[in-house]
Amino acid sequence: MRLHILHRLEENIIAFLLVSMTLLVFADVVMRFGFGTGLIWSQELTLYLSAWFVLFGISYGLKVGAHIGVDAVVKLLPSHIQRIASSIAVILCLVYCGLFFYGAWIYLQKMYQLGIGMEDLSVPLWFAHLWSEETLEAWRIDPEDPLIPLWISQSILLIGLSLFSIRLLELLWSVVTGKSTGFRHTDEAEESMHLARELSAEKEQIK
Amino acid sequence: MTTATLFFLLFLCMFLGMPIAVALGLSSIATILIFSNDSLASIALKLFEALSEHYTLLAIPFFILSSSFLSTGGVAKRIIRFAIDCVGHIRGGLAMASVMACMLFAAVSGSSPATVAAIGTIVIAGMVRAGYPEAFAAGVIANAGTLGILIPPSIVMLVYAAATEVSAARMFMAGFIPGLMMGLILMVAIYIVARIKHLPAQPWQGFGELFRSGFTASGGLMLIVIVLGSIYGGIASPTEAAAVSAVYAFLVSVFGYRDMGPLKEVPWRMQGEPIGRMLSRNTMQIFWALPRCVPDPQIRKTIMDAAKVSIMLLFIIANAMLFAHVLTTERIPHAIAGTIMDWGLTPWMFLIVVNLLLLAAGNFMEPSAILLIMAPILFPIATQLGIDPIHLGIIMVVNMEIGMLTPPVGLNLFVTAGITGNSIGWVIRAATPWLMLLLMFLMIITYVPQVSLFLPEFIDQLKGYN
Repeated sequence: MRLHILHRLEENIIAFLLVSMTLLVFADVVMRFGFGTGLIWSQELTLYLSAWFVLFGISYGLKVGAHIGVDAVVKLLPSHIQRIASSIAVILCLVYCGLFFYGAWIYLQKMYQLGIGMEDLSVPLWFAHLWSEETLEAWRIDPEDPLIPLWISQSILLIGLSLFSIRLLELLWSVVTGKSTGFRHTDEAEESMHLARELSAEKEQIK
Repeated sequence: MTTATLFFLLFLCMFLGMPIAVALGLSSIATILIFSNDSLASIALKLFEALSEHYTLLAIPFFILSSSFLSTGGVAKRIIRFAIDCVGHIRGGLAMASVMACMLFAAVSGSSPATVAAIGTIVIAGMVRAGYPEAFAAGVIANAGTLGILIPPSIVMLVYAAATEVSAARMFMAGFIPGLMMGLILMVAIYIVARIKHLPAQPWQGFGELFRSGFTASGGLMLIVIVLGSIYGGIASPTEAAAVSAVYAFLVSVFGYRDMGPLKEVPWRMQGEPIGRMLSRNTMQIFWALPRCVPDPQIRKTIMDAAKVSIMLLFIIANAMLFAHVLTTERIPHAIAGTIMDWGLTPWMFLIVVNLLLLAAGNFMEPSAILLIMAPILFPIATQLGIDPIHLGIIMVVNMEIGMLTPPVGLNLFVTAGITGNSIGWVIRAATPWLMLLLMFLMIITYVPQVSLFLPEFIDQLKGYN
């Protein structure tokens, strides 16, 4: 039950990020053509939303089998060798996550030390003034010009890769215990068949 | 050595069944760690920047979202009805109308397999009832469906633009004439076959019916006009046009067509309802329906479908940018280009090699993945040989179309087999004669660059750039 809520929450976050990106660019177009003005911060915000959308979504993609890959070769192998190959593949993916996680950690640490902020996006002034100087200093927010610090806005690297690793470990476990044979890659042909099924179901009803 | 390591790791990872994105990223990161001094921190930053510094890339999720709203059975049916009213009365007209419907639906949905599934399910059965051989119908649809990636707006073109940093707007201009041309080639071929085989024509429905079906279909078709009009006119960038088209697609499918969402099955006009009451009832209903769109399960599913595809594609692109970074810093394409020059390979020979290479790759991988791996390699070589990058892009896209019709991963073959209930072998035989046309078309595209370059250059001239 609790997992169900988490799953729902994950989907809601992804949908929210995608929809807000779209609406931001749309609003920007409307502002420009309708009123001849624009929002300075909207482009940076949209781009960061898209980075969050993708990095947050990769683990979700692994769960629902949205990633594509070449499984023609692995499928030719007998099933126990297939499981060994898949385990190696999953472990290599974990190596990928590990390398990036390590790199991102060092990078974000440096950003924290330097206290660099984003270009246009800032915390509202009144909100920044709610907190004491020490707190703001610890968060690396300048009380005069409270730009959002990069170590927060780029922290999705760590969050996304951690979530991805958790789902990879889950997959590794199910391959080792024999519950699955490997990655579930998306099959675009199968995906579009739902249109065909929907239309033929309608035809049956008419008859 | 570096080249060998990079490609060995890439193919090893891919054939182990890893997601292509991770295979690209891991092989690049390993090559960087072994052969160069870049720190892991800077590589992690590159991955983030790949996603947060390319405004044009955002067009991809927006177009996917808009096509997700309009790739429905309802839109397919309206477009088919309009196409049949347009050309159905010519001999072989039902098949020609199917090609036209495929072209229009492909432009709206941007996806080839979805086009085959949506249009094919309806028209193949219809053609068989009207007396066409089933193999003929299936072959036509499998081929016409591939136009989805050539006729703009096309997601595969955006991927090429992302991989090579050529202008997406110019790619959209370049694909327009080749797309129309391929559609016309198919229609002319159908007409000739129809004359020889005495295939039937549909009765002419009259201009009233044509107008009515045109009006119903226009909700979806206006999307093409808005997107291409604003891009060709230079009013909006592809990203902005895509965001507008996503919002437009949502409004049309939820409030206009009412194929999904809270107003599903609510008619615009009840039987015998006066116009005034109809207007006020619809206004009230639309306002009341707007907040109810948020929890609506169908709309939510449509958005999540788009999100899945977007995440998958953008994650591959981000990793492919790392891959391209390794290629450029190690000057791999330049080395290959040098070798080719030494062999004395002329541009037209190079293009044959490109075609063969892409046709072979098309048998194993999806179009976007091939483009992201091959484009950064081929692009600098082509530039050195004096081939226009836009022209190269269109050649690559047409190659990808053919890849959709060749086993083992020909997506359109699988979908056609699925909707007709026949074997893959049967579909391959049915599609082969039409595939020959596509190959001939590829030759034209490859050796007559003007077909692709005419429109972008013409528009440049109109704007006074030349």
